[in-house]
Amino acid sequence: MEKKGSKRQAVLDALTGQGLSREAMARVAELTGVPEADVYGVGTFYTLLAEPGPRVCQGLSCKLAGGDALAEKLEAKGTVHRVSCLGQCDRAPVSLGENNRLDVAGPRGGISPDNPGLVMNLAGEDDPSYPALAWARKMGGEAVIDELEASGLQGRGGAGFPAHIKWRAVRAEAEPTKYVVCNADEGEPGTFKDREIMLRRPQLMLEALAIAAFVTGCEAIYIYVRGEFPEETDALKAALAKGGLEDFEFRFIEGHGAYICGEETALIESIEGRRGMPRLKPPYPTQQGLWGKPTLMNNVETLACVPDILLRGGARFLALGKTEPGTKLYCLSGHVNNPGVYELPLGASLNELVAAGGGFVGTPLAFSPGGASSGVLPMSLADEPLDFKSLAAHGSMLGSAGVVVLNDTVDMAWVAQVQAVFFEDESCGQCAPCRIGARLVRQALDRYLQSGNPDNLEHIEELAWEMTEGSICGLGMVAAEPAVTARRHFSDHFGVRP
Amino acid sequence: MSDFEIMIDGQTVGASDGETVLTAAIRAGVSIPTLCHDPRLDPAAACRTCLVEVSGSGRLQPACAWKAQADMTVVTENPRIKRHRAVLLSMYLADHALDDEGLPVERPNGNQLREMVIKEGHAFDLVPVAAPRGNREDKNPYVQFNPDACILCARCTRYCDEVEAVSAISLAGRGSATTISTVAERSLLDTSCELCGGCIDVCPTGAMFEGKAPVHAPEAIEKVRSTCNFCGVGCQLDLNVLDGKVIKVTAPPPGTTVNDGNLCVKGRFAYDFVHHDDRLTTPLIRRDDGELHPCSWDEAISAAAAGLLAVKKNHGADALGFISSARCTVEENYLVQKMSRAAFGTNNCHQCAAT
Repeated sequence: MEKKGSKRQAVLDALTGQGLSREAMARVAELTGVPEADVYGVGTFYTLLAEPGPRVCQGLSCKLAGGDALAEKLEAKGTVHRVSCLGQCDRAPVSLGENNRLDVAGPRGGISPDNPGLVMNLAGEDDPSYPALAWARKMGGEAVIDELEASGLQGRGGAGFPAHIKWRAVRAEAEPTKYVVCNADEGEPGTFKDREIMLRRPQLMLEALAIAAFVTGCEAIYIYVRGEFPEETDALKAALAKGGLEDFEFRFIEGHGAYICGEETALIESIEGRRGMPRLKPPYPTQQGLWGKPTLMNNVETLACVPDILLRGGARFLALGKTEPGTKLYCLSGHVNNPGVYELPLGASLNELVAAGGGFVGTPLAFSPGGASSGVLPMSLADEPLDFKSLAAHGSMLGSAGVVVLNDTVDMAWVAQVQAVFFEDESCGQCAPCRIGARLVRQALDRYLQSGNPDNLEHIEELAWEMTEGSICGLGMVAAEPAVTARRHFSDHFGVRP
Repeated sequence: MSDFEIMIDGQTVGASDGETVLTAAIRAGVSIPTLCHDPRLDPAAACRTCLVEVSGSGRLQPACAWKAQADMTVVTENPRIKRHRAVLLSMYLADHALDDEGLPVERPNGNQLREMVIKEGHAFDLVPVAAPRGNREDKNPYVQFNPDACILCARCTRYCDEVEAVSAISLAGRGSATTISTVAERSLLDTSCELCGGCIDVCPTGAMFEGKAPVHAPEAIEKVRSTCNFCGVGCQLDLNVLDGKVIKVTAPPPGTTVNDGNLCVKGRFAYDFVHHDDRLTTPLIRRDDGELHPCSWDEAISAAAAGLLAVKKNHGADALGFISSARCTVEENYLVQKMSRAAFGTNNCHQCAAT
């Protein structure tokens, strides 16, 4: 007899394009064996399922570039959903049409010029012979992991966790069934580097996944791509279709509009066909991940570094960094001349990054070094290294290196409010500190912006403290950071729009 | 038998492999506040009230889910934890229906959030967040839901799934709009719900409640333990008596009786007959005037025996048939077939649940 919900994994695909009507729920329940209410609970979690159709970005970089005006223009023509950052900050303001493909968008952003010395070299050409995989097979799994360790590669998804530890942990698991998962659910506001890798150098990532599967003994490779990135999925599939990786089983999973699914355990829940609510840790995915099996999950960029590390050695990668190992793809948007993705030594400063991106527009006031989650920092730190350690020491983080520059035409309270809206919208709602706290912070900022009365912000720091202490996952822990850091660093520009 | 020892608030406590900090603490008599915990359910650690300090982790960790490990040190009371609880409860207050004193409202089955705020205190008053949770109209007579008293601990949905395996309700929506919903917000009558009412019993804040039960302070009610008479299982139930009348039925706490805190729709909700005007309180015999008249049990049994024997005498034993009730126990059913076969001599015996 089949277990209840044994085809649960099919729920999300089955819900796509169905709406959430009673009839649709009954159909999906019938098809998957998952109870109707459960199907409904899953469907209502994901915005692409609950509110399909054209969407307009309300991320900070889009708002700076006229996202509100674009939204009003599109709303006058028909239904359009105002949604969280769509990962196109370099092309702001943007909207998606039907099928989640770009509708309104500026020209493609800049990238670093072709330079074979770079690790990912976005302007370069993929090598269809997959040389690093052949090399890995020759070296053997242990040697590959040793090389990763020698390289000092830190996870590029945001946490900076040493990659070799995860690889070694999964390789060491005795369980015969294991999985490799690529986290391509890029959604941190201001971040669009994984997008460029998938579009320009898809083979780097695919090759690394094959190497990971070989090294850890995994039976299948899952690639979870953000649902708002259909072109990126196309690019990966096209690269795969060119051949060379037939020994490996790749399975593509489409996201359905939920930032939180970038959190690794929420992503696993989502692949399994559930609401994307983060799991309690431990156990960690390397121990019990997808379907309870040991799972190696890496970010797109982390993987894209692997072929170079194997081909040219970990020591070279290590030495490429300025303050920490390797090069890094920095996403640059906001008040700069040439927004885009620039590959610089890890530890480059904001000033160096902006120099690569054509310089500032106007008089810079603030920057957000690693997406909304990293809060905002003053320009006095513009020469500090943008790396994991230094930014943490400044109460911020490198995160996904989604750098947004703000000049002195913005009100930092407004910036904080835009980010607070994001976190309120994207909180999964599972735990009280995040669910209630993110809304309290957003409402307090709303009231402050309307009235100018700072009493409205009286408890923000204390709420932020509790959100950090009490939330289950990282989203809740940082959701009040934009408000707290904007107040901490910009008392002169808080609530003031020059 | 414990596998190892841990230290909770300076007290040495034995613990077993796989056991949570909360389980060990409860056994040691250390009180840790909880709202989303239910021993029958997998821990969700969603309410965050049970966060404590555990050695080896910089973050506060949920006692309900964190596994005890040898030589672990646990702290359940200190300024950090006190501050955490106070601010967390302030947040809950901003997301909950409050009474005139600013406390979480009294609910039909009590409100543990109210008790917790009274005991632990809160840090500050916040403007209500007015979360957009909606409100589902449901015409079913038994199980109602008030989202304004819900803390989204998901005990009801987890119970419905993990214990009842019914899954008529689920967490739905996301973020501050998260709520408890049926499929497409239908009435429970129009779903897989069996109206067992377990969601009411597990709800810590009375958001799930019995529509027809009057609201009364828990202390005004006398609970009378009884055995459900709707079938032979023997579920224990607590008749909630107010002024000599049964106003609702609740399940005894899980782990204390054979039904482990569970009841079915009949046991929980079908108590109207107790005080109903039409309830029979004596046997009745139809006399020659064609009307039913009250009589004693001896009279009734004699009359039934005489009638049955007359049928057997005039038409043979196989003209008789005996059907017993699903409300009878196994032993009672055995006696009915014994009476049928041995006393009256017919195999025409059946039981209404034996289809």
